[in-house]
This record gives sequence, structure tokens and C-alpha cells, in this order.
Amino acid sequence: MELTAQTSLSLRAENVGHHFGVRTVFSRISFEVAVGQVCVVTGPNGSGKSTLLRILAGLLAPSEGSVEMRVQGRAKTSVERRQFLGYVSPDLTLYRELTAAENLEFFARLQGITLSRDDLIARLTQVGLRGRGRDLVGAYSSGMRQRLKYAFALLSNPPILLLDEPTANLDVHGIAMVEEVIAAQRRRPDGGITILATNEPRELTWGDRTVHVDSTP
Amino acid sequence: MTPPEASHDVFRAGWTGQALTLLAKDMKAELRTKVAISAVGVFTFASLLLLGLATAVLKEVKTVAITRLADPLTVQGLIAQMHPAWDSPSKMGLLWVLFCFAAFAGLAHSFVHEEETGTVTALRLSTSAEAVYTGKLLFNLIVLLVVMVAVTPVYMAMTGMSAGSPFVFITVMLSGGIGLAATATIIGALAAKAQGTGALYGALGLPLLLVFLMLLLNAAGTVYVVNAPMLRIVKDVGGLFSFGILIITMSVMLFHFVWEE
Amino acid sequence: MATTERRTEAATVGTNTTTALQGAWWKYGMGLVMCFVIWGAFFLAGQATGFVAKGNLARIVFFHVPSAVLSSVCYFVGVYFAAIYLFRNPQHKQAAEVDAKSAIAMELGFLFCILATITGSIFAGLQWGSFWNWDPREISIVIMLLLYASYLVLRAALAGRPEQRAKLAAVYALVALVPAQYLLWAVPRLIPGNHPTDVLFKKETLSPNYKIVLYSSFLAFTLLYIWMSQLRFRAYKLRTRLEGKRG
Repeated sequence: MELTAQTSLSLRAENVGHHFGVRTVFSRISFEVAVGQVCVVTGPNGSGKSTLLRILAGLLAPSEGSVEMRVQGRAKTSVERRQFLGYVSPDLTLYRELTAAENLEFFARLQGITLSRDDLIARLTQVGLRGRGRDLVGAYSSGMRQRLKYAFALLSNPPILLLDEPTANLDVHGIAMVEEVIAAQRRRPDGGITILATNEPRELTWGDRTVHVDSTP
Repeated sequence: MTPPEASHDVFRAGWTGQALTLLAKDMKAELRTKVAISAVGVFTFASLLLLGLATAVLKEVKTVAITRLADPLTVQGLIAQMHPAWDSPSKMGLLWVLFCFAAFAGLAHSFVHEEETGTVTALRLSTSAEAVYTGKLLFNLIVLLVVMVAVTPVYMAMTGMSAGSPFVFITVMLSGGIGLAATATIIGALAAKAQGTGALYGALGLPLLLVFLMLLLNAAGTVYVVNAPMLRIVKDVGGLFSFGILIITMSVMLFHFVWEE
Repeated sequence: MATTERRTEAATVGTNTTTALQGAWWKYGMGLVMCFVIWGAFFLAGQATGFVAKGNLARIVFFHVPSAVLSSVCYFVGVYFAAIYLFRNPQHKQAAEVDAKSAIAMELGFLFCILATITGSIFAGLQWGSFWNWDPREISIVIMLLLYASYLVLRAALAGRPEQRAKLAAVYALVALVPAQYLLWAVPRLIPGNHPTDVLFKKETLSPNYKIVLYSSFLAFTLLYIWMSQLRFRAYKLRTRLEGKRG
């Protein structure tokens, strides 16, 4: 979604908490991310980083508190939120029985984006998968699948990127690709928002600020 | 859990367009892997053979209604009154028992597959619950209709089931197909979310179909009544049709809760 | 010290039950009514005409009919709470309790359904000579039994995930409402049967003594149902409190 330079965009979590049954994953997390910022979510394994990102993406309803996303001053519902964000995560999978190109075409059509052949090639090139578009995703290596997830997340050119374990399974070139994606996000005229969930020391330095998630009180 | 949100203007493509896109994707993947159609198809044909073997004797049995016999009982009169014990309506009932089992053997696949491979997340990010429901319902309906079109003539040849009045016959088959596909779709979505095995799918779905089968048998009776009054046709076939429509209405209202977390 | 603590605990557990019936007085009352029904069924009500065993068989009606009616009432209570669960704000504090109420209604419905099926089958076996006749009422109740069982199977399959269990079970209960409502109005018309419903609901055929015992029985069974729900709900609350302390 292309937004103009005047677009105001805000993402705010207020007292967000989640529990599965009686087990509390985390509670009372509040933060606000400003446009142009890269925010890193850290925390030990099992602390709920991925759960928090799913909640921010509107994929999971928080047990308590709320997430507010405003575009041009108007609050968006959890379902509406999804068209403004790109999401890369280990729990995201594309269709193994379709080729990479078919996957992108399918999701583009669902999202109402017309993708020309040149667009498709450009997007595959961007994530380093040029020439592999006709391969079935089932035959892809885990690193190639991770790259394809970026092509999926960037389909609608979203102002918000939520990246869970952004460089999982990626080689040096792949990591450079992710760095370029994040840099491009910073350069957006409307000032994009990027949220990473990671514990990699290298990736911690990419952020402007950190949100720490920890279930221990 | 969240109350259904108005999501028609959320994504730029309308939800009908999205549903058709999803249907086209499912058909493409199906033509490539043929999982659903072969599961339902092989299941149905194998059951058909089992059924043929088990009912070979049944076809020969003839019966007489005692109340219809004339007073001076003659052999000719008896023979004239004899008719097959296994009549066409009950043959149709058995055919539908077969379809019900077949549907619950294979139609959960379209949801279970998305859930198991984890493609639900990408789908949820890209489209609305209504579009997913509609797409999956249409896909299941098409698979079921393909199997029905292939199996019904074979079954008719095997058991000697007649078509009765063709128009009513086709209406009953279509209404039945809609009811069965609708039930299989919403229960498939539930079973997929419950990460259930095939056993759970059947256990959840088949009890719902008992009433459906009773309505169907009732409508099947009408198919074979010669010159059935229009009112009876409308009542019986309408009763069957209403089952599918009610399940679809309920599903449209509730699918959101199954799909979103 | 210990007794006061226990008392406050009992009080907090008790106060949140929404039913207006509090205290013990009505439970004693229920016991008396139930005793009256049992006595009345055998001594007050006369022998009915048109039934085998000199009409003594008809006495089963006092236990069969209230359980049969409760078995469908429970389903609607369960569906009512299921709908509230789904369509109310999900972060509502009582969401889990509403789900528990729905589940309790379904469990008790299952119990009454079993009782109605067994008593009905005994009646059918003695009156019509076969314990199963494919009578519309028999079919209806056995379908109802299966719907309850499926609901409980789904809950059992989702035991480890309370939120998912609540949501999916509620959806299933509402979807199963479609076949359940046909049982009420369509199935009795689809299949001819010989269930003696008419005998019961035509005023002139029922003697005053029969009426008194039958209506008392309805009252006693309904109160029994409410009491059982309250007990189940209290057990549920204590269990969650225990889990909360442990976790």
C-alpha cells in the first residue's frame, strides 16, 4: 500500500497480555513505535516474542489490553490492519504444491494487486530467487523459502514490517538482502515502521530501540 | 472471538473475487496432486463394490403387501402384486449413506491441508474469512458433484435404481449435494482447527447428517411417486434443500470464529 | 480461624452463580417434592387404561417425560451460553465461566438424554414388545444423544487448549442447532409413530391425580437440574482456583 508523505501512521500496544489457559505468557506490555523507527523485541526462548508479533499483526487476539494502529488518524480493526503490514515468521508457510511464481501471483490477486510478468521477475530478483520462479516451493531449500517469505511480505509494499527471526536459515547474501529491506523501509517517504523479534547480537544493533519481553515478574 | 467485523471493503478485491481466486488455486493444486478427488473417489468406488457384493441377493427378493391382495387368492394375482423388496427410494438412501461416508473421508482435506502445512497464516494475512469459507465450500461442492456424477450411473446400473421423474431426481441430488458439502465444509474447518484425525471428523459430522438423511429419504420417496402433486414435491424437496441453506447460513455467521484466533 | 476462611471461600464461590436460587431451603423442598413424586407415582396415580401390565407400565411417565423434556431444554441452555460466549467481548472476565456454563448444560443434557432413552426403551419393550421400534421419538432422542456425545468428544479432543475449546465447542453447538431444530418439528411428521404423546396432552384423558404427580415431577426434576448445575459450576470454579494456585 503506497502512502503519501503526509500519511500519519502509528502503532501502539497498550497493556497487552496473553495467556494460554491459566499459563500467562506475558502481561502489561506497552509501547509505541514512531514512523521511521526500527524496534527490536527481545526476550528469552518461550517469553512470547512470536506471540507478541502475532498479536501486533492481528493474527491473534490479545487476552488483555489492546493494539491500536492508526492510518491517517483512523483506527484500524485487527482484520484491516493486515493490509498495511508485511509479516515474515517461522510459522508462515507458502504452498509447497505451487511454484514460487504461482504463490506470489495467487497472494497478489487475493490482495487485489495486479502483478505483471516484469513485476514478478523484479520481486523474485529482489530476494535473490531470479530464475527459480518456476520451481515448486516443495523443492526449495529452507533458505530459499525464507527468501520467498520476504517476496510475499513485500507484495503490497506495506508501511509496517513485522519480522520474526528475520535471518533464520539465511546465508550471507540473504542477510545482506534483509539489511537492504530494512534500510529501504527506513528510506520510505512516509516513514515505515519495522519491528524485529530476535536474540541475534548482530540484529540487535539494527534497531533504534528495544522492547524486552519476559514472563518472569 | 472478536465480533464479526465488516470486512467487505478491507481488501481491494471484493470477497467474491477472492473466493474465486482461492477456488482456482485449490483446483489447480487439486489437479496437480489429486488428493481430495482420489480420496473421495476411491473410497466411494470401493464402497460401491462392497455394497454390490452385499446386496446381490437383496435384488432378487420380492414382496407383497398383504392388504392389497384380492379375496380369492390366486397364484397369478399374487405374482401380479409382487414387487422388489428393495425399492428405489431405499436404494437411493443407501447411495447417500455411501456419499456421506465418502464426503467425511476426504472433504476435510482442503482445510486440514492448509492447517497442517501452515499456509493458514499467509491466507489469513491476505484475505477475509468470508472469502475463505465461500472458496472452500465451492471447492468441496465441486469435488462432491464430480464424484456423484461418476458414481450415480454405475450405482444405478449395478442395483437397478431408476431415476423416477428426472427433474425431481436431479433437484433432490443437487439439494442433497449442497447439504452434504455444507456440513462437510464447516465441520472440516472445525476438525482442522482441533487438529483432529479422520476419526474426529466423522464423529463430529455424521451425527449432524442423521437428520439430513431422514429428510433425504423423505424426498427420495417423492422422486418415485408417479405424477406426484406439486405441493408434495415442493414440501419434501424444499425440506431437504432447507437443511443445506440453514447450515450455510449458520456457517457464514460462525466461520469467522473458527478462522480467526 | 480455619472455619472462617472456609466460609469466605464458600461465599465467594457461591455468589457468582447467576441463578437466583440461593441457600439450602429449596433443596429440602425439592427432596420433599421428589419423595412425593416417587410415592405418588405408585400409590396416588391410578392404573392407566390402554397400557400393558394392568396399566401399571404407564407409571414410568413420571420419570421418563421430565427427563426427555429436560434433555432438550438443556441443549437450548447450552446453545444460549455458547452464543453469549461467541458474541460478547472476548476479553470479558467471565468468558471462561460462560463457556463452563455451556459445557455443564450439555453434560447434564447428555445425562438426562441417557435417562430418557433408557426409560423410553423399557416402556417400548414392555408395551410394544420390542425395545427399539424406529419410532420418531426414539430416533429423535438417539440423534440428540449423538449430538451431545459429539459435542463432548470435541471438548475432550481440545482438552489442553481452553480458549480454542470454548470457541470451537460453541460453534459446534450452534451448527448442531440446525439438525436439532428439525427434531422438534419435522421428524415427527416424516415418520408415522405410536408414541403416546396425545394421551398426555389431551386434558380429558389425564386424571387429576396423574396431573398432580406429573406436574410435581416436572418441578422436582427442574430443581434437581438447577441444583446439579450449581454443584458442577462450583466444582469448576474450585478447580480453576486450584490450577491458578498451582500454576
